[in-house]
Amino acid sequence: MLFQLVLSGIAQGSIYALVALGMTILFRATTIVNFGHGEFFMLGAFLVYVLLHVVGLPFLPAALLAIVLMFLLGMGLERGLFRPMGESAPHISLAMMTVAFSFLFRGIARLFWGREVYPMPSVFSYPPIEVAGLIVTSQDLIIAGTTLLLVLLFFVFFRYTRLGRLAQATSQTARGASLVGINVPLVHGGMWGTAAAIGAIAGILVAPITLLYPDMGGQILIRSFAAMTLGGFGHLGGAVVGGLLMGVMEQLAGGYISTALIDIFAFLVIIVVLLVKPSGLFGRREAAHV
Amino acid sequence: MALLSIKGVTVKFSGLTALSDVSFDIEPGRVHAVIGPNGAGKSTLFNVITGYISMTEGEVWFEGQKLNGLRPHTIACRGMRRTFQNGGIFAEMTVLENVLTGLAQVTASSIAGLAVGMPAAYRAEMAAMRRACDLMRLMGISELADRPAKDLSSGQQRLVEITRALATEARLLLLDEPAVGLSVQDRENLMAVLRKLTARGVALLLVEHSIDLVMAISDRIVVLNHGQVIADGEPAEIRTHDAVLEAYLGRN
Amino acid sequence: MSELTEVTRQQARPGVRLQRCAVAALLALALLLVPLVTNDYTQYVVNSILVYALAAVGFNVVLGYLGQLAFANAAFFGIGAYTVALLMHYAALPFPLALGGSAVTGALVGLVVGLPALRLKGYYLAIVTLVFGELMRWAYVHGGDITKGSGGLPVPEAAMFGVVADTDKAKYYVILAVVAAVIWSTNRILRSRVGRAFVAIRENELACASLGISPGRYKVIAFVWSGLVVAVAGGLFAILLGRISPESFNLHQLLLHFAIVMIGGIGSLVGSIMGAVLLTAAPEILRNFPGLEEIIFSLLLIAVLLFLPRGLAGLAARLVPALKERLYRE
Repeated sequence: MLFQLVLSGIAQGSIYALVALGMTILFRATTIVNFGHGEFFMLGAFLVYVLLHVVGLPFLPAALLAIVLMFLLGMGLERGLFRPMGESAPHISLAMMTVAFSFLFRGIARLFWGREVYPMPSVFSYPPIEVAGLIVTSQDLIIAGTTLLLVLLFFVFFRYTRLGRLAQATSQTARGASLVGINVPLVHGGMWGTAAAIGAIAGILVAPITLLYPDMGGQILIRSFAAMTLGGFGHLGGAVVGGLLMGVMEQLAGGYISTALIDIFAFLVIIVVLLVKPSGLFGRREAAHV
Repeated sequence: MALLSIKGVTVKFSGLTALSDVSFDIEPGRVHAVIGPNGAGKSTLFNVITGYISMTEGEVWFEGQKLNGLRPHTIACRGMRRTFQNGGIFAEMTVLENVLTGLAQVTASSIAGLAVGMPAAYRAEMAAMRRACDLMRLMGISELADRPAKDLSSGQQRLVEITRALATEARLLLLDEPAVGLSVQDRENLMAVLRKLTARGVALLLVEHSIDLVMAISDRIVVLNHGQVIADGEPAEIRTHDAVLEAYLGRN
Repeated sequence: MSELTEVTRQQARPGVRLQRCAVAALLALALLLVPLVTNDYTQYVVNSILVYALAAVGFNVVLGYLGQLAFANAAFFGIGAYTVALLMHYAALPFPLALGGSAVTGALVGLVVGLPALRLKGYYLAIVTLVFGELMRWAYVHGGDITKGSGGLPVPEAAMFGVVADTDKAKYYVILAVVAAVIWSTNRILRSRVGRAFVAIRENELACASLGISPGRYKVIAFVWSGLVVAVAGGLFAILLGRISPESFNLHQLLLHFAIVMIGGIGSLVGSIMGAVLLTAAPEILRNFPGLEEIIFSLLLIAVLLFLPRGLAGLAARLVPALKERLYRE
């Protein structure tokens, strides 16, 4: 049972890791904490649902199209909401703006899809594999596999490509970057788009196995915060590790102590970590001042 | 007895020694200045005295009591107040409100009294208001009372900050670069104000870059360089002191 | 005239004072006569406006005056509601005592939230308070037989001075009295050394310390008062609805309070009232279209953040300069 729990924890944790990764990328690039990130997750899932069932596309094209659309949405948000606020806007106001668009997207989702909850017919109907007495579903494999791929991709991107290093430079000093000729707003737009796309990918990955409802972003937001806090706010690797740990610990707590604990596990992690060691596992002693 | 006594203060952080065995005294009602080239440790000294930074070694005594380890607001309550180099005024408040905030320590309205509407609370607030008006009149800023602080010029903001710091009859005022960025006229005003303060018996400790100002109003000058005291004496002595000249002008 | 000093208003010229007294008296009369022009439904809406106005005022103390991004309002609101409901349901306490109880629990929860606020800055505080609210909601859901979980806890009718408030019109007077009193108290606190200390901490914490103001002490005071006010609003909410369930205190509720404060005008008490009027009346009109309420509020919020930093109150101040209540936040 232990290993089974760990396995499903890894799959679950991969989702948290992805969302946390997206949030951290955005935070590193723009110093904005995005309280609306859960809505990227939700919109990704809903978009893929619409493309599959209303437009009738097969899964893979629908997923890719949804990702592209979300990327564009992210860029649009930067252009329309955040660029006008300017570089010197107080962090409180920026955070408030993310709250505002979170509210907006929830409303839009609720308008189109009402108060109901939507099941998605299963997309991957391959039978589960059995490995050494453990059952691994195809969804779990795909989720974990995709996450691993994306994490590696981003690692390589940020470390070894020119564009990635450009993005890093911009996040360290926007003014310095623009002096060197980097188009800072464009980089920011790209980061927003990337963050939105990653959040959407997470949503797309779970869409086939979960019920969709307009408020589903809220739960993932809190778990993502837990992952970021645990791993160290602002640390990319920490976000991934934090996410995976969250997933596994949740499943273990649920399995061995009580299923009711799963709901509040993330809360407890956040509160305990912030009160005991705010910098988390890998974080530096950054003063995140508002 | 000295009003303020700095004894062997040393401050080190992350391998850097910002202050090294700094000692001097300040007498009540006199004007002391601390000068020195950039990076000499003047700001660090201020921050240590007022409790914003802790010292690695040494002691600070004020009116016979040790200040080591006390929080800044506790120190401020003991009769020592400071101003800030980068503007410590509350930008969104009016001048009157700024000065009133300076009186917070002695405004005797209790929260319960305020919430319930007790006359005692109202009277305490009225008393604070009267004191604030008196202070503003003394410092010549009464007409500015209802202007938002952010709308004032640097010179006026400095005045407000000093008025605010003066609110509770502090015996010692630490002024952090009060003359920086001021026009000639504003400097004259500032010096007049400082003289007025001394006449009231307030001791001053200034950190200043402007040697002229310092020479004109100080009773004693302490010169820092690389965190150490290289001279401590009256303006006339300091003006011709070898070590001081070397520190400012380099070796010749 | 400045906003943070009560005293200057008292010193105004006799003519102006008389004018202000007359306006206040007229306002009071109008408020007392409201039930004459409403039916049960619109009275319910008016009652809701009052409750939300109070919750927004409490939120504003921390968000606008102290300037901290703390999302504890759902927690405060909920504890107030459940305290009243539990005390009246199980201990058969009369409403005034039960409401007093919610003030106490609100203040305690404010203390619990305020202490970590001293160590946690910025985003961390926002996240922790958000999480705390959700934790409390989980407690209501899993409170077994005591809180009756998601099914909802019925709230007995409020009785004051021997009269049972069983109609919306009767409830109006109870709610009006409490809301008016608590907002008045809050106003007095904000227009004093305490309120000035809050704003000073927001503006420049280091300078505060140099004036003998302990930032830690006043931050805790702000959270405790905010908790008290919002919990009392929650207690009134319980009476208003007659039945409370955990779902009423989720993120949606928090966002609603937040929108009211921001759109009304952060840092302005009058703004919070205006925001409550706008955002509480609206849902009733938009009731048939799920999601539309959120869309409109969020668009208003975005508009405020981009173009109208001082919200409705700021707009009103610009249009009618005589009303100029100075605000303290961009």
